[in-house]
Amino acid sequence: MSVSPQAPEIENDSMEDRLYTVKYEDPGDSHLDVKVASICADSCETADCVSICPADVWRREDGEGVPTIAYENCLECSSCRFACPYDNVSWEYPKTGAGVTYKRG
Amino acid sequence: MLDERAGDAALEAPNYDNEFDAIVVGAGLAGSAAALTMANRGLEPLLVERGSYPGAKNVFGGVLYTPTIRELVDLDAAPLERYVAEKRFSMLSHDDETAISLKPGEWHREPHNDSYTVYRGEFDEWFADQAVEAGATLVTETTVTGVIREGGDIVGVETDRPDGAIRAPYVVLAEGGNSLVSEGASLKSPESRENIAVAAKEVLEFPERSGVIEDRFRLVGDAGVSYQYFGEGAVGEAYGGGFIYTNGDTVSVGVAYSLEDAATKRQSPEETLNLFKSHPAVAPLLRGARTVEYGAKTIPEGGAESMPSLVHNGAVIVGDAAGLVLNNGVHLEGTNMAVESGYYAGTAIVEAAERGRTEASALESYSERLEDSFVVQNLERYAWLQDRVEEDRELLFEQLPRAIADASSEYFTMDRRPKEMHAKAAKQRVFDTLGGWKGATKLALRYRKLVK
Ligand SMILES: Cc1cc2nc3c(=O)[nH]c(=O)nc-3n(C[C@H](O)[C@H](O)[C@H](O)COP(=O)(O)OP(=O)(O)OC[C@H]3O[C@@H](n4cnc5c(N)ncnc54)[C@H](O)[C@@H]3O)c2cc1C
Ligand code: SF4
Ligand code: SF4
Repeated sequence: MSVSPQAPEIENDSMEDRLYTVKYEDPGDSHLDVKVASICADSCETADCVSICPADVWRREDGEGVPTIAYENCLECSSCRFACPYDNVSWEYPKTGAGVTYKRG
Repeated sequence: MLDERAGDAALEAPNYDNEFDAIVVGAGLAGSAAALTMANRGLEPLLVERGSYPGAKNVFGGVLYTPTIRELVDLDAAPLERYVAEKRFSMLSHDDETAISLKPGEWHREPHNDSYTVYRGEFDEWFADQAVEAGATLVTETTVTGVIREGGDIVGVETDRPDGAIRAPYVVLAEGGNSLVSEGASLKSPESRENIAVAAKEVLEFPERSGVIEDRFRLVGDAGVSYQYFGEGAVGEAYGGGFIYTNGDTVSVGVAYSLEDAATKRQSPEETLNLFKSHPAVAPLLRGARTVEYGAKTIPEGGAESMPSLVHNGAVIVGDAAGLVLNNGVHLEGTNMAVESGYYAGTAIVEAAERGRTEASALESYSERLEDSFVVQNLERYAWLQDRVEEDRELLFEQLPRAIADASSEYFTMDRRPKEMHAKAAKQRVFDTLGGWKGATKLALRYRKLVK
């Protein structure tokens, strides 16, 4: 049963647009990394770090290998840390207050 | 504030060894409540926050629950957005909505059922300021990286400042759900991903004209709404839901659902949020809105079973760091639990300090009071729910929303058949889904504790 075919179009911003709405100050060294690269490359088929990340920080070319990490975009949500089935995400807080700043939260 | 008192040198090298009675890690709701409680009773706590101001790093859905905060501070002066005058629960199938709405007249009167939408960026800063006015010292842009131990006792913290070790008799771990310090000190183990929810949230503004929020959500004055959404149309087949809360001139929209589901569904939280916003029942509420903020966070939802030991020699754990969140689909409460635990922890430290004691047994009154309070009692009340819902997931999130939507439209179908036939068919539709009387009774029994 279909009731409402004419839902108004909702404009969902692209990830690039969205990340303008958060501020990343002077990130310094990456606070994210993989602990053991070979685990990503050899053992991990699903790369849950990639599918869980709400900010497209983790990417994996052709669905294999070691993911690249665009850490400047990180929202510090910690999802990747909890999601990796191999406990292979090295995660710390960006130093001295750097990183995302929310006005509203 | 520390910076004003001690100048820039303080930022370079805090070196406040034993200048403070207690160190609070994190100026969120739990940390500020603990610091305020201690300062009110004459102690000098140091509140350490990694953000550039308290709240700068915090994301939540939208409603601050205030039964305890109201006793600690003058809420009239607080940056509140709206009080919650309507709670609405919607079941969404792919393109149907079945909703119930609650609008008790009582909620329009003070204290408004102790439920207010706030911006954490504003509220947390204000709340931490209340602690500072009471005598606490706040230092921001400082991340605690570990605890200092002597023998079995915690006697201070390490920070990311140069020469950043600070000692004090008590440490309050109020660092939130991503509790690297508590884990690093082996005071708790990292949550398994089954016990974590991931949330993505947007704050939306309506640039076209003022009054849009009042019109769309049928609001007068400071009244606001809390809309919660479940079922397939909200977050797919995952365990969790969507939400909309109204602020003064923005709305907060988000999804929160099991991280395990999110990871295995291979649909990112951002995509899930986009789909939710585009649902035919949701999209008209948001038409023409513009995103002014996008954020994400995890929520610990392991409940009573995954609560760590709260009391250690020289340290206590409070708020989300202790897993004190009630997230069961009907209730999403953590702010009240954070403040309550911070308050009891602060009280216990004051009492221990009066006796000059720091060992765990001297702080035990914190966990005892918490056990007796709504915090632990509510968590225990729902401990069984998540596992059960997990077993019934397909029925509850997919089949039932669809059946109920079908049944309602059957019940109200306008044609020339008598009402009795429609009522029978509607009942049948739900019964078939539940597996007849037997199935319905079984299900009712399985969930009877919800209304006990
Ligand atoms: C999407 C979402 C929706 C929610 N909706 C609601 C709701 O509507 N109502 C409700 O009652 N609850 C809700 N909750 C839960 C609620 O937000 C939390 O329970 C509450 O914020 C917990 O407070 P806290 O003080 O324990 O932790 P937090 O608010 O997380 O505060 C922790 C503080 O510690 C700081 N910090 C962390 N680590 C360090 C460190 N190492 N050094 C220094 N500082 C540090 C952080 O910057 C932060 O300021 C929601 C949560 C989420 C994620
Ligand atoms: S999920 Fe873990 S192991 Fe797999 S690619 Fe990501 S970081 Fe590597
Ligand atoms: S913390 Fe969150 S936003 Fe940052 S990389 Fe991990 S999943 Fe992505």
